[in-house]
Amino acid sequence: MKMTPAYKKAQGNMAPGVITAGGFLGDDERDIKDIITEDEELMEYFSLDYEKVCTTLEYLLDQGERGLGEFTTVDETWLVRTLEARGHLPCPFEDGIHRKITCEAVNIKNNRKILFSTISIHLLREHHFHEGKGSEFRLDPEALKKVLNI
Amino acid sequence: MSVIFTAPLIVSGIAAVLAALISVLDMIVNNYGIVKIVINKGKKELEVKGGANLLQLLAGNKIFLPSACGGRGSCGACKCIVKSDVGPHLPTEIPYLTKEEMDVNTRLSCQVKVKKDIEIEIPDVLFNVKQFEGVVEKIKDITHDIKEVLISIGEEKIEFEAGMYVQLVVPPYGKIKGETQRAYSMSSTPSDKNHIEILVRLVPGGIATTYVHTELKEGQKIKVIGPFGDFHRSGTDAAMVCIAGGSGMAPFKAIFNDMYENKINNREVWYFFGARTGKDMFYLDELRELEKKWDKFHFVPALSEPEESDNWSGEKGLITAVLNSYLKEKISTETDREGYLCGSPGMITACKSVLTDNGIPLEKIYFDNFA
Repeated sequence: MKMTPAYKKAQGNMAPGVITAGGFLGDDERDIKDIITEDEELMEYFSLDYEKVCTTLEYLLDQGERGLGEFTTVDETWLVRTLEARGHLPCPFEDGIHRKITCEAVNIKNNRKILFSTISIHLLREHHFHEGKGSEFRLDPEALKKVLNI
Repeated sequence: MSVIFTAPLIVSGIAAVLAALISVLDMIVNNYGIVKIVINKGKKELEVKGGANLLQLLAGNKIFLPSACGGRGSCGACKCIVKSDVGPHLPTEIPYLTKEEMDVNTRLSCQVKVKKDIEIEIPDVLFNVKQFEGVVEKIKDITHDIKEVLISIGEEKIEFEAGMYVQLVVPPYGKIKGETQRAYSMSSTPSDKNHIEILVRLVPGGIATTYVHTELKEGQKIKVIGPFGDFHRSGTDAAMVCIAGGSGMAPFKAIFNDMYENKINNREVWYFFGARTGKDMFYLDELRELEKKWDKFHFVPALSEPEESDNWSGEKGLITAVLNSYLKEKISTETDREGYLCGSPGMITACKSVLTDNGIPLEKIYFDNFA
């Protein structure tokens, strides 16, 4: 899959130490275009719609804020904790900045967990980028299916 | 055939000449020589090699501005006023600055490249900030996800007011290539000048908290920079209404122990501490003991979602709801009251609203937004 200059720039921005200390790629050495293509196929396989996933993630992040920094039970389905760290992060695709709000969501029924942030939702919605394998913030399509229950 | 061999050689030769030319030009164009940084109208003057960013140059001369991201321009903490012309604000600075700050040319020091003599203003208190080469004396698990870390700074002394914070310098580890700095409130008492104690809650994906929870060992050397911050007890007689959750306990531990040690018992102190379940609650025995010894100290722990196994007989519900009922029914309105908060921005916003709804004015609410 061909990497445009914009994708090459974004991939550079995703390396550890550029925007975040840990970066966005984990152990994944593939081009981000390949990561995106494979994840798009997996989203289709699991019948997951990007907009619906992003709306659900936003809902959990908002509900988590009710816990005031502690875990809180949401809809008897999830245990959610939303935390905010100081400052903002620019998107590696250089199309905006985002507050550093992170959210852990655990599906109480199957104990599957995801970790995401405001920038993760933007990356998913606008760029279909789930982060590389091994990244702590990777939103693996299978995990999304299991945790979000959609 | 010879063209096949000579063409790449010619191209490589041209590339090498161009690279050398760029390197020479870079040395000429980007050689700013020695430049002068004048701080606070000449209170301090530094002569440094130009070309690096202001935050780095100041730190290299032991003047430490707060920074939670290590100069990546993503925390907005390293602000200072630049009196000289260093060009317009960069797009990377603008999200962190108010209009008033921009009007007086407040800048993020990590984004200002020093190319010529400049004059800056920083709070005088930052001249007292030092970098300490500490040794981890003790690490204690106080809950399943919070560690109490005691750092000895040997013969060095740290002078601070209870409530202030330090920055822990996390060395490169694993995939993390560079140093990372994160701010933690001190839970130690100012009278112990040779130790710094912090409480670190594990945040998934957090570089510094993961380091403390998985890599940091007793006996290990660690750098700490501080003290920073202006969160501290006021000098009034007003009743203190203090609210915290999680590692937001740290500055209050320091403040209460400092008050008790110094026999500052002219004011009522109410301490509301929220957690989800029993396994998230800590220092219960210590705080109840303090309550017994100090008649004006009232400790109100609350669990938002207690489990049956917790056998919890204390307050239940979100800390905001518990606070609201105490402000309405138990805390006297006859004396002045001040609010003190330490926690996430969401928790602070929610508590500020409860406090103001119950008659405590915004200007009497002090908070340490540890985000």
